[in-house]
Amino acid sequence: MAANTDMATNEKVDVVIVGAGASGSVFAAVLAKAGKKVVLLESGPDWQPSDLISSDFWGRRLKPAGPPFLLEGKNPYGYVYQAGWGTGGAALHYFANFPRLLPNDFKVKSTHGKGLDWPIDYADIAPFWDKVADDVGVSGDAKAEEVWRPAGKPYPMPPMRTFGGGDVWKKGFGALGMRLSPAAVGINSRPFKGRPACLYDGWCHVGCPIGALANPLVTYLGEARQAGAEVRPHATVTRVLTSADGGKATGVEYYDAGKQKQVQEANVVVLAAWSAQNPRLMLNSATDKHANGLANSSGLVGKYLTAHFASGTSAMFEEDLQPYMGTIAAQYFSYDLYDKNAHKDQGAFGSTFMVAGAAQRYSALGGVANARPDLFGAELAAFMKRAARGYTRLTAFAEEMPVIENRIELASDKDEFGMPLGKITHAFNDDAVALFNANFDKGVEIAKATGAKDVWPNRGPMPTIHLMGGTIMGKSAADSVTNSYGQTHEIANLWIAGPGIFPTSGAPNPTYTILALSLRGAENLVANWRAVAG
Amino acid sequence: MDEIQRRAFMKGAAIGALAFTIGDADVMLTPRQARAQRVPFRTLTADQAVTLDAMGEALVPGAKDAGISNFVDQQVSIPAEDALLEARILNVRPPYANFYRAAVGAIDGASQAKYAGRNFAQLAAAEQHDFIDLMRQNKLENWKGPGAGFVYFLLRSDAVDVVYGTMDGYSHLGVPYQPHIAPTRSW
Repeated sequence: MAANTDMATNEKVDVVIVGAGASGSVFAAVLAKAGKKVVLLESGPDWQPSDLISSDFWGRRLKPAGPPFLLEGKNPYGYVYQAGWGTGGAALHYFANFPRLLPNDFKVKSTHGKGLDWPIDYADIAPFWDKVADDVGVSGDAKAEEVWRPAGKPYPMPPMRTFGGGDVWKKGFGALGMRLSPAAVGINSRPFKGRPACLYDGWCHVGCPIGALANPLVTYLGEARQAGAEVRPHATVTRVLTSADGGKATGVEYYDAGKQKQVQEANVVVLAAWSAQNPRLMLNSATDKHANGLANSSGLVGKYLTAHFASGTSAMFEEDLQPYMGTIAAQYFSYDLYDKNAHKDQGAFGSTFMVAGAAQRYSALGGVANARPDLFGAELAAFMKRAARGYTRLTAFAEEMPVIENRIELASDKDEFGMPLGKITHAFNDDAVALFNANFDKGVEIAKATGAKDVWPNRGPMPTIHLMGGTIMGKSAADSVTNSYGQTHEIANLWIAGPGIFPTSGAPNPTYTILALSLRGAENLVANWRAVAG
Repeated sequence: MDEIQRRAFMKGAAIGALAFTIGDADVMLTPRQARAQRVPFRTLTADQAVTLDAMGEALVPGAKDAGISNFVDQQVSIPAEDALLEARILNVRPPYANFYRAAVGAIDGASQAKYAGRNFAQLAAAEQHDFIDLMRQNKLENWKGPGAGFVYFLLRSDAVDVVYGTMDGYSHLGVPYQPHIAPTRSW
């Protein structure tokens, strides 16, 4: 369907936020509660809890369905599984693991001569992790985690219940002298702020309709709406508009559900679309004053993309582990391999974060059937019968160091609105490949120590998990796109939210840090509103 | 409210099933029911469906009767943004029908080249097994289409979906489905 090029202009607002996922929802809640008129433009549907059917089939509706990103490089970035589409974004179907970064994540370049430094430290974010925990509800044992990290506030809820699929890993870790802690998760172990406790049914990854899991619909986005923020679904933003002198963002151009071109003027523009979509928008917003795209005099918009990867280890027990019970989040986690040089003897560099005991599903990409992708026919059927009650998995997430060659840029192909498609180029370097392999060896060693009947590494193509970077934070426009709050160095009223501002990724799941940084950024924006918005 | 009551409460909110066309009417059926009722294909040809059924059954026993070809046909006949296919997750570029046509064509082309003009569905069970084992390892000669290993993985995922991803599939494995919001008609 051809786009309609007639343009409608809406009443000017204080803030327009592009994307109603995890980070955009935080900005919306903080700004709306501060009395600002907020509009969120979301390219996908406005999901309701009643849409969240407990099915791996129906859960796929929550994944991107817009124009594709073109994928290139030695390790093409497979993004659809983990990206979002619609209100709540990826945090509508995330696993709700809530680990935080550790102090050794923030000065990797200075300490090791690899990667990049953050312009802030652990202590700058720590109060915001604690605030987020109180806002959305986190279950866990903060004291137990303090063997790895500085002390902080206790979590507002005790750890979740555990089941056989998680408990069996304690023996393996213990035999190797390694430590496990109850996992910190954004799921209610008991009723919290009017939301019920978890039922441990294992359907978190297709959306939790009862609100036990802290997705944006029942946390920050809900609060934002209550405070008056307006959400416009099926609104596809194509450009950020700037003033004639190039000094200010003036709003955005978008296409509505009817393919009608619209303009939303605003005093402040927050790009909270996605780590790949934000750079695509900035590059597509070039003008004579910003010939290389917005906030891009350094040429760094779209650069230093990073991905996590994971080495999974499978274990099959004769006992009934009830592996279908629990949550898709971990039951236990460990930072014991978090030192950047933990696997130095194997030529690896980077941190590893281990999780154990996620509830198992039986189909779909992460399901039990893909624990042995080589099996088919009668052998697969026999494996499935056995795995139904005896299978569990340990996953070692790890980080790659940012390199400028991992990037997003505009392609020559265009989408239905005439906007160039984004092209993501990605390859893992030798440090990362060595880390991937080392974590299989360690995983198998741990699994064998559990006493499992069968143990095997889930080797396959090196996966790309989460997407970070592309609009990294730093000290100046010479080395980065934004400051530590997400404010672009070059256009004071253009802000970036989300993991795109991470200079390095660390190894843990990023959402907890996304929420904390967004809260820190949004509060800073409110505190400096007059100077920023003019 | 206890756990059983809360589950029962949520069950009532279900939507689901897939819309198949019989005559001029859209009816909501599971793929298994669509197959049993011989619902006409909208996008796949009869020959393509035969190959897809045979491949699905060889990959995951039970996939044919579970309606793999009806499932794929229905899914490639609706807008990509509504599709529930694993192809969506694995970065296949819409329209998905193009992928399935190319995949089925590659399977039968390679089968004909290897087995004296016979399509995959015409092979003996042992021949099908050997063919798939080469296919998954990208070792088939005369393969012309999307990567053989990728086609193996994706069609296997579809077959796993219809056999094990349903409420019936969980029941067959002897594990509880435990839905918050149940898909209707065991789907």
